[in-house]
Amino acid sequence: MEKILNQEKLREWVDMLDDCEVYAPAFADSVWNYARIEAGTDIDLSHTNTIGSVKEFVFPQREVFFRFEKKDGVPVLTSTLPDPKPTVVFGVRPCDGRGMPRNDTVFNKEFEDPYYWARRNKLTLVGLACNQPHSPNCFCQSVGGSPHSEDGLDILMTDLGDRFHVKGITVKGVEAMERGRDAFDAVRDGDQTEVEKVHDTSRSFPQRPLDNLDAIPKAIRESFDSPLWADMAQHCIGCGICTFLCPTCHCFDINDEVISPTTGEGERVRTWDNCQFPDFTMHTSGHNPRADLGSRLRQRVSHKFLYFVENHNTQQCTGCGRCITECPVGIDIVAVLERVSQ
Amino acid sequence: MVNVEEIRDYAASLLEKEEVKAVLGFRRGSASAFAEPCTITEVGEAASLVWDPTCLNNLALYLVKDRKQQAVAKTPDNRPVGIVAKGCDSRAVGVLLQENFFKREDVVVIGVSCEGTGVVDSNKLSDKLKGKTASRITFSGADDINVSVYGDETETVIPAQEILADRCLECRAATPTLHDVVFGDTVEARDFNEPFHAAKEAESASEDERWATWEHHFDRCLRCFACRAVCPMCYCHECVVDSTTFVVTLGTSAEEKANRIRWCERSANTSESAVYHLTRAIHLAGRCIDCGECERVCPVNIPLRLLNTKLEKEAFEMFEYQAGHDIEQASLLSSFRDEDPNSFIR
Amino acid sequence: MSNPSKTTEVQSFEPRIVAFLCKWCSSAGSDLAGVSRIQYSANATPITIPCSGSVSPMYILSAFNKGADGVLISGCHPGDCHYMEGNYLARRKLYLVKELLQFIGLESERFRMSWVSAAEGAKFAEVVDEFVEDLRVLGPQNRLKAKP
Ligand code: SF4
Ligand code: SF4
Ligand code: SF4
Ligand code: SF4
Ligand code: SF4
Repeated sequence: MEKILNQEKLREWVDMLDDCEVYAPAFADSVWNYARIEAGTDIDLSHTNTIGSVKEFVFPQREVFFRFEKKDGVPVLTSTLPDPKPTVVFGVRPCDGRGMPRNDTVFNKEFEDPYYWARRNKLTLVGLACNQPHSPNCFCQSVGGSPHSEDGLDILMTDLGDRFHVKGITVKGVEAMERGRDAFDAVRDGDQTEVEKVHDTSRSFPQRPLDNLDAIPKAIRESFDSPLWADMAQHCIGCGICTFLCPTCHCFDINDEVISPTTGEGERVRTWDNCQFPDFTMHTSGHNPRADLGSRLRQRVSHKFLYFVENHNTQQCTGCGRCITECPVGIDIVAVLERVSQ
Repeated sequence: MVNVEEIRDYAASLLEKEEVKAVLGFRRGSASAFAEPCTITEVGEAASLVWDPTCLNNLALYLVKDRKQQAVAKTPDNRPVGIVAKGCDSRAVGVLLQENFFKREDVVVIGVSCEGTGVVDSNKLSDKLKGKTASRITFSGADDINVSVYGDETETVIPAQEILADRCLECRAATPTLHDVVFGDTVEARDFNEPFHAAKEAESASEDERWATWEHHFDRCLRCFACRAVCPMCYCHECVVDSTTFVVTLGTSAEEKANRIRWCERSANTSESAVYHLTRAIHLAGRCIDCGECERVCPVNIPLRLLNTKLEKEAFEMFEYQAGHDIEQASLLSSFRDEDPNSFIR
Repeated sequence: MSNPSKTTEVQSFEPRIVAFLCKWCSSAGSDLAGVSRIQYSANATPITIPCSGSVSPMYILSAFNKGADGVLISGCHPGDCHYMEGNYLARRKLYLVKELLQFIGLESERFRMSWVSAAEGAKFAEVVDEFVEDLRVLGPQNRLKAKP
């Protein structure tokens, strides 16, 4: 389904989704991030990319698996499978959209994760094509995407100045558009060409290149023992920024959080974890097979550009550039790949 | 004006004379308009060193990292290291010396005066550009900063004072006092904000407002621990909030596991992040030299510096203590005076 | 203030205090209050510690995290420390903890320190009673408490 939505009608559409939780980018605390919006008037799509990615909607930083307690000496478990309200997220950049099918693979291939899917099935992603990359670190095109990629999105909006071109991609997307029926206009002659022009222009901006993407896995494999890794990670501080913000990083840890040892009450909780942390691979014995930062950088890059390619036939990176822009010491995954490939 | 050539020459000569095994400095990187840290070991590399208000990092962190690496190395290389240091960075070296992390002869401090300015605050810049990325940041004298925005042809001129980091506006010692050499002029009177200005302002809000602010921030924390990882004073091998010391053996019972002390759960929620941040603040009392790194690196821009400067303000006002000023002095929390405040105790 | 439901709430609310008491003075002081049959509030859970100087700020944060409505640290009067200077070190450290807790907006009445010697059973009772009264007015501590 393809429609036209005048800029001022966007609010109307949002208001018609009143039985859903609606999120959109908001600029607060000096950064763009998704925030819950109460009314259509709150929506502002002038954003760059958000600091957090849409993975947070399906893979929240903290997920309670179940509650436990001891009743008359017997352990009792209570399910906490989420049952969220339908959620619509506006302003999703195509690189974040492309992260979603990658996450779907991880949470579906060998084991269907009910927590993930309970949220995923209720989630509608409304993408907004980038008329121009927002950051010199965007490289969606170098990893097979584009600033107007539909991959993983339910709807793709394209900004045509005074109006949006809105394309329903999935059943969920078409449904969300039907809910705002009156707000939309029909596509007229010429609209299509204009959309194509905007998309063509968006692809014409130079992005960080990754020459010979197909040769990268082999290059990484061959450099496993290379001193390059330690050299490139020399200034890495081992924080969790690059992976926590990444739309496709999905490592987690599971802990029992005991509220009261007396009653044996508590929760089993899944939280994000991250291969850059020192305790990520720490064994009980105290031995750490990835004790140095070089091996951790190698792990992050290998997971995205070697293992994931081998296992799922695509990169686990969509080129959003967050890990580059937000790294406190300038570690740059594109530059790393360039050096490894040389 | 600091002449960057002088820094390069000095670094090159240190390496040439083999007085240091490496020099920690700044160079231009590929990731952003801000400079990135570098460790140079060859004379020829000195030419890549840069110096300007985009040199944000506190490189003392890498002195700590090097010491830790040498401590576990099979053949440790304990030769001295040179470090390019701003006023605040040199105080970090001071605290590390005071705490015997290494010795004075292990480090050559190449001091650089911030003179009349300081460094750019990436959050203030982001506010100016509403989240857009700066592709180039240049300086026209001390008063203005020119910023080119990525994807935009125009160049914006921003008065320096509007995007200098708060700590620079409040700085009392913009010229490194601890140094082996210092480049740039010592500028005494810097007509910006009074010391602890931001912390005082935060104090003046009502109790409920203060809690609303911090609840908001604790709630937003991702617990990526970048603030801890970047801090040169957070050098513990194992942080209390990680609790990896709990040894689980075959004989460890479920009860023992359930009852283990965990000061702070891994969940990034308000209460646990509050424990983390308040513990960290206290562990840095009298040790934080206000390099602002923790606040700079935070991806969600939590104003962490306020917690630390609040305590440094108390240290200064109540105990006449300034972190990193005197390497001979006993640390804040291992000393006391008879006249320390007592009236708050019943 | 005249809201009747609020008054009932205040009356029915029994604050829980975690009291870290130095074994050389305040802990003995609390025992003395007991053996002297002084009537005072039973709201404080005492935890005996070797010295007020041994209190880690984490004890305090942890108590609030686990739901304490108030935290009391009590040690020997200045000059009387069994270890010569532990209470002086505590005073400095806990002054900073107090300032920090206030700074982030925890109600300032919730954290308290006292000097109570082994002979001051009556003072101990008074400190606890006063604390309980002040906490009753504040109601339950929710700011730093872990919420399931
Ligand atoms: S990487 Fe591509 S899709 Fe993502 S924000 Fe940049 S231009 Fe848009
Ligand atoms: S690896 Fe970096 S560029 Fe790629 S998707 Fe993750 S954050 Fe974005
Ligand atoms: S690469 Fe950068 S963001 Fe990632 S762990 Fe290292 S310092 Fe942190
Ligand atoms: S850097 Fe920011 S988000 Fe990360 S742990 Fe520190 S305060 Fe939290
Ligand atoms: S607490 Fe922050 S400002 Fe203070 S020394 Fe550490 S990184 Fe620097």
